[in-house]
Amino acid sequence: MIEIFLVFLIFGLLGALLLLMNKFLGPSKSSPTKESPFECGSPYLQEGINPFPIKFYLVAFLFLLFDIEVVFFFPWALIFKDMGLTALIVMFAYIFVLVLGFIYAWKKGVFEWE
Amino acid sequence: MNSLFALLPLVIIVIASLLVLLLEVFLKKENKNYLGFISLFFLIVCAILYFRFWNEEFSYFKGSLVLDKLSLFFFFIFAVAVSFVILLSMKYISLQDANHGEFYALLLFALSGMMIMVSSSSLVIIFLGLEVLSISSYALAGLKRKDKKSSEAAIKYFLLGSFASGFFVYGLALLYGASHSTDISGILDYFRSSPELSLMATIGLGLVIIGFGFKIAVVPFHMWTPDVYEGAPTPITAFFSIGPKAVGFAVLLRIFLYYWRITPESQAIFWLLWIISVLTMLVGNLIALRQTNLKRILAYSSIAHAGYLMVAILARDGSSLLFYLAAYLFMNLGAFAAVIALSKKGKEYLELDDYAGVGFKYPWIGATFTIFLLSLAGFPPTAGFLAKFYVFSAAVREGLVPLVIIGVLASLISVFYYLRIVVYMYMREPSREIAIHLENPALFLVIFLCLYGVLQLGIFPGNILLIIREAINALPF
Repeated sequence: MIEIFLVFLIFGLLGALLLLMNKFLGPSKSSPTKESPFECGSPYLQEGINPFPIKFYLVAFLFLLFDIEVVFFFPWALIFKDMGLTALIVMFAYIFVLVLGFIYAWKKGVFEWE
Repeated sequence: MNSLFALLPLVIIVIASLLVLLLEVFLKKENKNYLGFISLFFLIVCAILYFRFWNEEFSYFKGSLVLDKLSLFFFFIFAVAVSFVILLSMKYISLQDANHGEFYALLLFALSGMMIMVSSSSLVIIFLGLEVLSISSYALAGLKRKDKKSSEAAIKYFLLGSFASGFFVYGLALLYGASHSTDISGILDYFRSSPELSLMATIGLGLVIIGFGFKIAVVPFHMWTPDVYEGAPTPITAFFSIGPKAVGFAVLLRIFLYYWRITPESQAIFWLLWIISVLTMLVGNLIALRQTNLKRILAYSSIAHAGYLMVAILARDGSSLLFYLAAYLFMNLGAFAAVIALSKKGKEYLELDDYAGVGFKYPWIGATFTIFLLSLAGFPPTAGFLAKFYVFSAAVREGLVPLVIIGVLASLISVFYYLRIVVYMYMREPSREIAIHLENPALFLVIFLCLYGVLQLGIFPGNILLIIREAINALPF
């Protein structure tokens, strides 16, 4: 067992040592061409990371909200018969708050894409 | 008494915030100032309700929401703080381009979070309240949307705050693992009944302290404070310096007032808090000496005050803690109100050099600001002196003499930077002209009320001491 461990240790250290030697001893000359991303030799067409419309993230937010709402529905449906009216009131209060948030988002123009 | 009434004030505040949020999208831009008055109206209704509840102890949700006298007292502190902040910001947010209706809605959400935290005895519910408070605070810090510093403050507060919440939850998990209860009394029962010190529970309690340490800004968890306080809109800074701090100490008080009695003297947690307290007093005051920005000075001063409050926790004295918080509420909000007064459209005067000559140019602002600063430093006829006096004398009674010596020395250091502002206001020639927007009756009302509070608590503290004693004595242990 210990031999295998030693093998891993030695080769791991050796690998780290070689990488570090490369880093410290090798000359490093950078040029704009070297720094640019490699695209099979042809000059690249656009930036790697593009700005994306922030509205999409707002819609994703709302989706998450209503997705989680459904998650709460399942346990509620299971105990509904035992709790009766209380469960109904609690769920209505919960949905009421969510709907208010929905109206707020709507009026703020989250769904207008242009 | 188990009654739905216990839920009523909380429901009122939540409905108020939802209403304000909805009205914000339906109202025209020029009518948005009404939102502040609507929020104030709901706050007053809620305060009257709580006033009626003072002598009856309502509880609901099988005891996980309890309106005892302590939580009512803290609610009054929050209500005064939030209503002062609303009054301060009515003009401010339109002058400084932060006039979004969400302002008041978020403040009320934060208030509801704090109400949940002080009126619950279950740490899970306290965590729920903490998150409601924190998330609205993060948004409030970044409300000056075009200001880079404000956005920086919001993102810093968010990252460090959510990290701290993680510590709190992990501590809670360890406490639950050890004691099989999330209730504060259940956890404390476990500490009392276990024969020797349990490592898991002690680490859990330590992590909970770290989580709250971030919220109340004690050294070494204070790194976010000056940046967030500087970047946030100034009324919000005033709110941060009293609201989350008071609520953090409320929870710590509930835990430790009893915890000290059931554990042997001088064990790990005690020394942990002792070191935190000493570091907070010294570091807060020493770094404040070098600051030239008023908001940063007040930020470090609020760190230092957290250290004095921690002394009250170590001295097992609830009443001096509550008195200190009440005094701190008035003197700190007053100082911030004076800072807010020195602003005009699109510009705030926050550098020390701007304050040169203010004492003669605007005598009323200068004089009241001086009184608030003297109170923060702890000079005799003001509330700040009595607050420090009660805390330190309680600590001496408990035999914490070294702690008191360090505390008195630290507050001696603090006199320098508080008085430096006064020296600038009265004894320096103004190097640049400042012109401020003076038509702000709400702000001057707040300054007047804070002045009244500082002097009332400093000269005739009897009434409020009676109330505080009643609140502390009504605690179950």
